[in-house]
Amino acid sequence: MKEHRARLVLGTTAVLSLLAVAGCTPGGSSTTDDSSTAAVSDDVAAAGDVTLRLSDFWGSAEGEWIDAMIEQFEAEYPNVTIDRTTEDWGQLTSTLNLQLQDPDGPDIASANNGWQSLGTLARGNLVRNLDDYAELYGWDDEVPTTIARQNQFTTDFTTIGSGSWFATPLARGSLIGLYYNVEKLDALGLEPPQTLDDLEAAAAAAADAGEIPFAYGSVDGGTAVLLGVQAMLADKDALNDFIYDDPGVTAADTSLTEAATTIKSWADSGWFTPSYEGIDYQTAVANFLDGQGVFRFEYTGSLGLSGDQLNQFGYVQLAQDSGETVGVGAAPGAMVISSSCEHPDVAAAFLDHLMSAEGSQTAVDMGLVPMLNTDVTLPDDALSLQGEATATQTLDADDGYVPYIDWASPTLLDTITQNMQLLYAGKVTPQQLTDAVEADRTAFLEELGQDS
Amino acid sequence: MTATGTRPPAGLPGTPSRPARAGRAGAPRRPSARRRRSRWIGLGFAAPGLLLYGYVVLVPLLQSVQYSFFRWDGVTQAVWVGFDNYTRFLTDPELRSTFGHVLVLVAFFSVLPIALGLLSAALLTRTRLPGMAAFRWIYFLPQVMTSIVIALVFKRIYAPEGPLNEALRAVGLGSLARSWLGDFTWALPALGLIGTWAGFGFCMVLFISGASSIPPELYEAARMDGAGPVREFFAVTLPGLRGQLAVALTLTITGALRTFDLVWITTRGGPGTSTLTPAVALYRAAFQNPQVGQAAAIGVVMALLCLLIALTITRLSEKD
Repeated sequence: MKEHRARLVLGTTAVLSLLAVAGCTPGGSSTTDDSSTAAVSDDVAAAGDVTLRLSDFWGSAEGEWIDAMIEQFEAEYPNVTIDRTTEDWGQLTSTLNLQLQDPDGPDIASANNGWQSLGTLARGNLVRNLDDYAELYGWDDEVPTTIARQNQFTTDFTTIGSGSWFATPLARGSLIGLYYNVEKLDALGLEPPQTLDDLEAAAAAAADAGEIPFAYGSVDGGTAVLLGVQAMLADKDALNDFIYDDPGVTAADTSLTEAATTIKSWADSGWFTPSYEGIDYQTAVANFLDGQGVFRFEYTGSLGLSGDQLNQFGYVQLAQDSGETVGVGAAPGAMVISSSCEHPDVAAAFLDHLMSAEGSQTAVDMGLVPMLNTDVTLPDDALSLQGEATATQTLDADDGYVPYIDWASPTLLDTITQNMQLLYAGKVTPQQLTDAVEADRTAFLEELGQDS
Repeated sequence: MTATGTRPPAGLPGTPSRPARAGRAGAPRRPSARRRRSRWIGLGFAAPGLLLYGYVVLVPLLQSVQYSFFRWDGVTQAVWVGFDNYTRFLTDPELRSTFGHVLVLVAFFSVLPIALGLLSAALLTRTRLPGMAAFRWIYFLPQVMTSIVIALVFKRIYAPEGPLNEALRAVGLGSLARSWLGDFTWALPALGLIGTWAGFGFCMVLFISGASSIPPELYEAARMDGAGPVREFFAVTLPGLRGQLAVALTLTITGALRTFDLVWITTRGGPGTSTLTPAVALYRAAFQNPQVGQAAAIGVVMALLCLLIALTITRLSEKD
């Protein structure tokens, strides 16, 4: 009896599975034609009463910024209501593809840049091609090329970094740069460093004086230091091309090996927080804010500086040896319009508003880093914010933005994190770290080729 | 997705087979109308539950099986790749290494708690001490705490300046102090010990309750035959706990196989990939990288392994 039952169960399961497998191929159901022949318009007032749903992943000051931007837009166009929903970053990026397939899903959303999220959404025809709006609003002229590229894909979806607009940046940015503890630097009698050589000299002096040169922890990642150093060494164009899928450029061309060698030597010199390999990210940040450590490479905004802290810490974007400034930087999200949005004109006007000078000024007023617009009025008493704003002005002027290297493949961030831990433990060489990055990206490029 | 792994053996048999058997048995024996009606009423009561179970467990399970044969990013048209996702799971060095890590975790999550549970059950049932309930309560406590809290607590304990290292330094063993979770050699055993601590109380309570249902005459007989405590344990207690052992083994081994939360909160699979488990690899593939097919294949393999383990253990424990 029991045997019989087991056989029945197995048989039923097998039949059902076969039926399911043979049934249909998952995905690819969206057949929306993108050849929107209707002329685009920037006349928002003429659109009648419109409600747009917005999904984004911003909290605290960033959330207040987007609320302020909505308020400004609704005040200008009383016929428009923007209905905002906020979810945490991981939640939104992992479910956005489902949300955008839902007829009641968001009209506008903040996606993650790169292939992991934006590329997949564009390729799946879930987000609108924004070229006609880019022309209408002149985004090609206003947005620095290096930032514009971050939102572009070729329409055969084999290449990121050129082609059509599928998302827009924001009037505020996120950079990787060097924070320093003002009091400790003063006590050491040092000026804020301007180049990598300055920094290493300062770090040596700090170590001699018994200070921890770099507040750091690597147990759950912590790639800002590698990416920050790489931006000071790399050829800007090579790094851009590597990330934007140019198979002619390899990881070795992006000075990754040199950057890895540099940070490994820092680790070996004892310049990182003692036992950094067992310290997690949150603790490392807390340690730095607590006065343990003179410097820290960090994403802007991630330290959560406020009040007095804005003057206790400074920010610099170190220049390359040539004097030019290159920095990892992007909008902290890519704004997309859903393919099924019924009022794309209104949605595009809102995205344009999010890139406006007013948006940058609002960001500065809330202690956030402005981007795209250089003529902002900075508060007098916020040293770190002044440093961050100066950095974006320099990067805007030099067109010196490079994207996050992990955009080059969906798995690259994991690969880099793992190999940095292996590097610190002496289990791989800087060269092997570069090889691992190259192998990861090559595998992904091959996959892209298969898809086309 | 992973939690459903152990369920099919319990749910599947009931669903399709019962109506069939009822029909077949009904024809020759002609049960009374009342009995037949009560059977339908019973099924009627069970129907909402069965439907819900089918919808939230069986359908996703079959979908996972389907997805596992495709390379799919979750959005665009999927590409049929046959068993590629499975072979990749078994051949990719990083993914394959997760099996080795799981074996280590089985030792810490299953073997060790069960051994300790048996030992403490033997000790606690043999002698009646005042305040025994308090012991049980203390050891059982980790079982009622969410694993997130346990992971966060241990993250602090294992920290470079945490209590464990401080204690080592205090007793002059400072040379043993290290970054437990950042150390390639020690991260996995350190994670394992968290599981031992969390699972031990459950095993102990299970075994104590099992031992209390062993007839006292058996112990008396053993003692009269001159058995000491060790002999008594192997001759009476252990055979009497066969059922409980099966339950404990099934739950703890499948638990080790499914380990996700502890790793995710403490090390994220690092340093390097030294603590990567299949469940973490599955999560990465499903939610961080658009590789839904790969994630489904990992899930299916884990579900099958869980099923196999549960069936094997049940079979062995029922055999006389």
